[in-house]
Amino acid sequence: MSLAERIERIDGYRWRIPRDERLGMRTDVRVYATKAIIDQIAKDHSLEQAANVATLPGIVGSSLAMPDIHQGYGFPIGGVCATDLSHGVVSPGGVGFDINCGVRLVRANLTRDDVRPRLRELVNQVFRDVPCGTGGSGFVKINLKDLEQILIEGAGWMVRHGYGEPRDAEHAEAGGALADADPDKVSDRAKERGRPQIGTLGSGNHFLEIQYVEKIHDMPAAQAFGLSENQIVVLIHSGSRGLGHQVCTDSLKEMGAAMKKYDLQVPDRQLACVPVQSREGQAYLGAMRAAANFAWANRQGITHFLRQAFKRIFGDGTHLDLIYDVCHNIAKHERYVIGGKKRDVLVHRKGATRAFPPGHPEVTADYRHVGQPVFIPGSMGTASWVLAGQPGSMEETFGTTCHGAGRLMSRTAAKKGKDVNSVLKDLEDEGIIVRSETKKGILEEVPEAYKDVDEVIEVVHNAGLAKKVARLRPMGVIKG
Amino acid sequence: MSEPFEIIEHTADIGFRASGATPAELFENAAQAMMSIAADIDAIQPARDIRISVEAGDYPDLLVNWLSEILYLFDSGRLAPAGFHVAEITPVHLRAVVRGEPREGGQHPWKLIIKAVTYHEIEVAERNGRWECKVYLDI
Repeated sequence: MSLAERIERIDGYRWRIPRDERLGMRTDVRVYATKAIIDQIAKDHSLEQAANVATLPGIVGSSLAMPDIHQGYGFPIGGVCATDLSHGVVSPGGVGFDINCGVRLVRANLTRDDVRPRLRELVNQVFRDVPCGTGGSGFVKINLKDLEQILIEGAGWMVRHGYGEPRDAEHAEAGGALADADPDKVSDRAKERGRPQIGTLGSGNHFLEIQYVEKIHDMPAAQAFGLSENQIVVLIHSGSRGLGHQVCTDSLKEMGAAMKKYDLQVPDRQLACVPVQSREGQAYLGAMRAAANFAWANRQGITHFLRQAFKRIFGDGTHLDLIYDVCHNIAKHERYVIGGKKRDVLVHRKGATRAFPPGHPEVTADYRHVGQPVFIPGSMGTASWVLAGQPGSMEETFGTTCHGAGRLMSRTAAKKGKDVNSVLKDLEDEGIIVRSETKKGILEEVPEAYKDVDEVIEVVHNAGLAKKVARLRPMGVIKG
Repeated sequence: MSEPFEIIEHTADIGFRASGATPAELFENAAQAMMSIAADIDAIQPARDIRISVEAGDYPDLLVNWLSEILYLFDSGRLAPAGFHVAEITPVHLRAVVRGEPREGGQHPWKLIIKAVTYHEIEVAERNGRWECKVYLDI
């Protein structure tokens, strides 16, 4: 019997695979989903992957799966795993190759009616000004010394050097830079790959979307985030580019040998791990934090060029304010009350977003009364969501919620029987203009390739992890 | 399997199977497979040679490290690799010549940006006298 057949329903939105279902599991798997989502999840190996995560030494609480879970490498995407900081392990696969892949949302002082007549012009301008990086480089020219400073300062360095506004850095998770980053642990190769790529989107599922606020679901939170109906916002989805990818590649290479030293065995090589407090564990975390800081600087660079593009079309009076920036591939030291005791844990979020509730000291001061903003991009041409973190996340999911719609189909299956011109025409009929480096990129990201984002949101809202604040609809899409 | 490689499916990413009469030929074909996914490999001229050597714990490890090396050459702009000659190979060591064109100034753009080579379900094996592998790429 497969794990999907053995899963137990706890309530309408929670499911459990008990730890005795598979040899080596140290804890349960807990899945947040509807019955329909469970049926979809059962089609790939994501539940097996979540069960594999439950075997990691030092895991605290359950191996968690968000409703957007799908099959990844080692860890499922949409997986959360907290390990004990003193005797648990750190797994680079629990962060992924795209360290601090994340999302930021920017609000404009423009409405849907302002943008609609000039939408094509705007999309073309943004496409010119915000490179995807397929040619290898962007417009930010920095030397190696600058790069090493960026690895420490993250978004703040970019702001200090003219690529942002003073309020930008503080409106990001961790203030746009993690402390204790160690640039010396980032290889020369990683630096060489990343240096020309700052301010570039990348390809795959990375994108930039011009959207409007379709509906407000929670007025106080929307007001705190500066959102109103028909307002224009821009969602940016990108990560640490070649620098982060190389950091993960380098660490996996090193961990194969280190695991033998620490006598650690895992069911999948991509789950390679070492003790958090080991030399190798600390080296990885130092490099990972540096790569995370690079990702924040990257999204800050993209924001700068986005602002330029909007000003070119709508004039100097156009303001684009950063609402917030969240990461969804990261490992962070956080503290939770578990069984009445405070525990220091390393929370691995692999395709999952932090969602701290109202009153949490780490939420930016101007949002603290409503909870941390969370942005959930849907698939191309559908909807995206703004959420606010809720107390349930602290009680159940190590302050975490979902990160997207979650893929259902492989890229090849998504393309099957589809013609790019008819896909583009259908989108244009709905008022959505798409520019992509490749036609293939458009077909691979068609909406049918993903789960229904609204259903994913319904789960986290009703489970009390994050609440609905606003639903966003796309107008212009720029893709790698 | 008669073709030197074929693309395989994965929900979020992409993989390939490759084969060869010897480990050397298998590794050459695997590199060819990855670069065919990454770039328009036919447009790359064999203008420059780079010699590389790779170490690892076993064949699967060696394959990941070899492909990661090629990915690094491409993404760093040092070389758009199109031709591969494995001169010497054991399960823990490989020496090869990679042939291609320098990539400064945005020539030979990515067709599909490959983030990394993964260990996910990786296989390298000899079956009925032929060497085969399976590799997934993170994109």
